[in-house]
Amino acid sequence: MSGEPDQATAASRPVRVLIVDDHPIWREGAARYLAEAGFTIAGTAGDGAQALRISAATRPDVVLLDLNLPDQGGDEVTRGLLAAHPSLHVLMLSASGARQDVLDCVTAGAVGYVLKSAQLTELVAAVRSASVGQPVFTSELAGLVLGEYRRLAGPGGATAPAVSGRRSAMERSPAPQLTDRETEVLRLVAKGLTYPQISERLTLSTRTVQNHVGNTLTKLQLHNKAQLVRYAMENGVD
Amino acid sequence: MAAQMWRVVSIYRVITLVYAAVLIIRDSGSYAHPAGGWAVLAIMTAWTGVTVAEYRRPAGREAWVIATDLCVAAALIISTRWIETAARVSAGAPTIPSAWAAAPVLACAVAGGPWAGLASGLLISVADLAEHPALPAGSTFSGTVLLLIAGGVSGYLVRLGLRAEAEIERAARLDAAARERERLARGIHDSVLQILALVSSRGGALGGEAAELGRLAGEQEAALRALLADESQPDLPPGLLDVRSLVEPFADARITVSCPATPVLLPAVTATGLSGAVTAALDNVVRHAGPDARAWVLVEDEGWQVRVSVRDDGAGFKDGRLAEAADEGRLGVSHSIVGRLREVGGTACLTSTPELGTEVELRVGRT
Repeated sequence: MSGEPDQATAASRPVRVLIVDDHPIWREGAARYLAEAGFTIAGTAGDGAQALRISAATRPDVVLLDLNLPDQGGDEVTRGLLAAHPSLHVLMLSASGARQDVLDCVTAGAVGYVLKSAQLTELVAAVRSASVGQPVFTSELAGLVLGEYRRLAGPGGATAPAVSGRRSAMERSPAPQLTDRETEVLRLVAKGLTYPQISERLTLSTRTVQNHVGNTLTKLQLHNKAQLVRYAMENGVD
Repeated sequence: MAAQMWRVVSIYRVITLVYAAVLIIRDSGSYAHPAGGWAVLAIMTAWTGVTVAEYRRPAGREAWVIATDLCVAAALIISTRWIETAARVSAGAPTIPSAWAAAPVLACAVAGGPWAGLASGLLISVADLAEHPALPAGSTFSGTVLLLIAGGVSGYLVRLGLRAEAEIERAARLDAAARERERLARGIHDSVLQILALVSSRGGALGGEAAELGRLAGEQEAALRALLADESQPDLPPGLLDVRSLVEPFADARITVSCPATPVLLPAVTATGLSGAVTAALDNVVRHAGPDARAWVLVEDEGWQVRVSVRDDGAGFKDGRLAEAADEGRLGVSHSIVGRLREVGGTACLTSTPELGTEVELRVGRT
């Protein structure tokens, strides 16, 4: 993961968070709570365009990004943020947990997502993991990622149809595959086991379990990026 | 639609005017009063111009214009009596306006429907009969019948067409209204969801009575989220069910449901059997793993089979204690799960690890 050098300084330097949400109550509430928990609030934004501007000015470590913004889709904002500042980490915040949207954002490069109804302690833990580039894997997300690998491996998407036309047009490069170990780890995450529990059951180190989980996400993101580049070239987009 | 029908009436009138003109030019030599024939042609041409202009705009389609239209046609038919020779009229010569006289009948039918069409057809027929000095020959009778049919049938067709058009318009309006309502509902649902999520997460942090409020808000939040997830589903092929939409509603503060992003389709009977087994497995969790135990449901679509795992974080038990588990009634429940699945051609398997809870894995093959 890209967060290695950060980890050493994490204790000394407070993590800077940009909160992007179109609901003022949520935005203010999350800002207050995260500030209480010891994070520095780099700024708040109400839509995607504002988020891009403010993140350019304030250079946050983590962008806590609402999935449903009025102007752009969460995946678009994620891509925009990461293109401008590859070192920042995007953590999605979602009220609805709309599966395809969550998956789109994660394949676009977000390190994970948290439901808005999560306990605040969970939110704090998630922002902390995100700040060092550690994927924030809920069991729901593990289920989605498992499903996505199977869809990509299947003929035109396992047995189920691809959701959007854009996807099916893009899927021609070899599908990424999970190793047996990765599948095993993901399935355990999806069944609610914690990393220490998984490392105990599989007799692996917690670090190795984390790496396996991280790899599953990285492979999907790389595949997605390659597909976008291919799509852009085939359609003459610079 | 109405405008198009009026255009058809005008087209009919112009075509029949040309036809009448050809007849007048051909026959004027044998008329008793050829000048009368030319006068009628002039009137027909002028009146055609007036009605084409009038009927083009809705304001011109007034009752008195249409009535005048009928009277002009009737008068021109009767004028045949003086213009033609009696011998030719008796021999069945066409009237001077000939088929042109049916144009006002069509106009009546378009304006007033089948009965108006029929009545105007009758009026023109009466004029046809009045034109003859004696009882007419068979050909005029069939002309009368044709006029009546034309008036009635075209009136009926026009009404039918207009009603179909109104129906389509109404359906489109309803559809637009439904979409607008849906859009509004989405906004409201989202706001409610945001607030419930906030109350649920803050309440938990505050503790005490607030925690209880938070828990209640959390339950409603999960229910609403499941409802919204279900609403956004596309139409399914007939006879198939999405396993996700059956399992999703189980999600609450203690039960986490993980699914793929794409539909997991199974025949309705199989899907219902599978979700029944999940219900039994979750009941099992509540009964044996304790009220505080959490549970995770994972739905996986492996193409050739669908796998649903239900895991709890209760105490669990060693495999060697299966007999003990059976005594506790735990195995009984698992038997009922196995039974349910066998009915739909699936298998169930129960595993337990001390400290790591109990897991039931349900598999159903796809044929």
